[in-house]
Amino acid sequence: MKQMTITPAAAPDPRKENPAMEQAFIQARGADVFYGDKQALFGIDLDIEEKRVTSLIGPSGCGKSTFLRAINRMNDLIPICRFDGSLTIDGQEVYDPAVDVVALRAQVGMVFQKPNPFPKSIFENVAYGLKIHGMTPSKSEMADRVEWSLKSAGLWDEVADRLDQPGNSLSGGQQQRLCIARTVAVAPKVILMDEPCSALDPIATAKVEDLIDSLREHYTIVIVTHSMQQAARISQRTAFFHLGKLIEVGNTKDIFTNPREEQTQNYITGRIG
Amino acid sequence: MQATPHIMSRYDKDLGKLKRRILSMGTQVIDQMADATEALDQFDAKEVDRLVAFDRTINGMHQDIYTRSERLIALRQPMALDLRQVLLPINIAHELERIGDHAKSTAKRARILAEREPSQPACDKVREMSEKVQAMLAEALRAYDESNVELAATVRETDLTIDQINKDVFAMQVATLSDTPEDVEANVHLILLARGFERAGDHVVNIARHVHQIVTGIDLKASD
Repeated sequence: MKQMTITPAAAPDPRKENPAMEQAFIQARGADVFYGDKQALFGIDLDIEEKRVTSLIGPSGCGKSTFLRAINRMNDLIPICRFDGSLTIDGQEVYDPAVDVVALRAQVGMVFQKPNPFPKSIFENVAYGLKIHGMTPSKSEMADRVEWSLKSAGLWDEVADRLDQPGNSLSGGQQQRLCIARTVAVAPKVILMDEPCSALDPIATAKVEDLIDSLREHYTIVIVTHSMQQAARISQRTAFFHLGKLIEVGNTKDIFTNPREEQTQNYITGRIG
Repeated sequence: MQATPHIMSRYDKDLGKLKRRILSMGTQVIDQMADATEALDQFDAKEVDRLVAFDRTINGMHQDIYTRSERLIALRQPMALDLRQVLLPINIAHELERIGDHAKSTAKRARILAEREPSQPACDKVREMSEKVQAMLAEALRAYDESNVELAATVRETDLTIDQINKDVFAMQVATLSDTPEDVEANVHLILLARGFERAGDHVVNIARHVHQIVTGIDLKASD
């Protein structure tokens, strides 16, 4: 099976010298998704820029989660689901039959709506991802990697003295940050988030949002959210989906202050569209 | 972009109430200016006192609009068109409050000019300015009420006429002061009155700009 090999993020970025060279890190062209006979996405053309947070917004059933799950082929887990079109990450076709989907999902991590820690210790929750992806460094290297991941997720100071305790003994917000630590441990290039704060209180939400803001320095983040305010707070780009179509994508400040499309305006202002 | 109703109908009621407050404040400022200008011709001490005191009512309306807008921002967290519909009335109310200040100032000058004999041609010009500013303001409020950017653009253009009359008054008064320097104070007051109406016209232009921004999202002052 073909491995996804994505250019290391630390490489010099020629786009800064020459904006004309700019090419989207994630690029969808004519992306259709079907659940059996029912079409869920219609010809999505969307560019997602590297090391930025892109929010996908839209009413329930609009296709935003379907699109998110298409990026790391999570939809493959649904037998009746079919993808047509093109979706590339760093120029490589995600739906190339030769792509190793397990390797793809290591490069494109995912955080879900409800925190889903494994029934293991805090330490093992983070180390587990490294093990299943065959990244098994020495014991001391593993400890360093777990510490780094927990620090990256802003959780280290809260759990450093109880790494052997069950992951599900943490609060909801801490569990979600543990899941983020587990995701970043395997050094992905992209992190997909499907309503990661919908089950959290405002304080835990603020901590996760602050974390997302710091993570974008190293990762390309795509987040589905139903909170307009959250999309406005944390993302630099916002895409509005409606009835399976991409209606508008643009800079977040433009989408939330002066959107081009009436459908976008009606949705973000809670109007009858 | 035509605004369709909100799913939360109460939100539309609150926005409608805010708009009606602005329109009411604007109408009362027009009346205040008309009455103050009339006092220049037919001085009535009680009426002038009432006009000066009425400025506090206008200031209160300004504060009320600010409070309503603040509450809507806190409770509704508006975005895009909604945000502009809530935020820019604060600016419009501020402009109206400043126009009200000019009306009060006009009333006070009426008290001074009642005891003197200012140049009649200049008085006529000042009265013309006042009437034009009142008409401009009425049109600006109509543009706001109807979300009419074309009308708002017409209002901005009308201000050129006001500026020209102000220059005319200044030139007339310079000539008057040179030829007949008997009542310097009264004629300087006329220059200041004209300048006040010219400033009031500028505030109306700002209101028209705010209307443009509410409807289009484009801040004309920033893009100038």
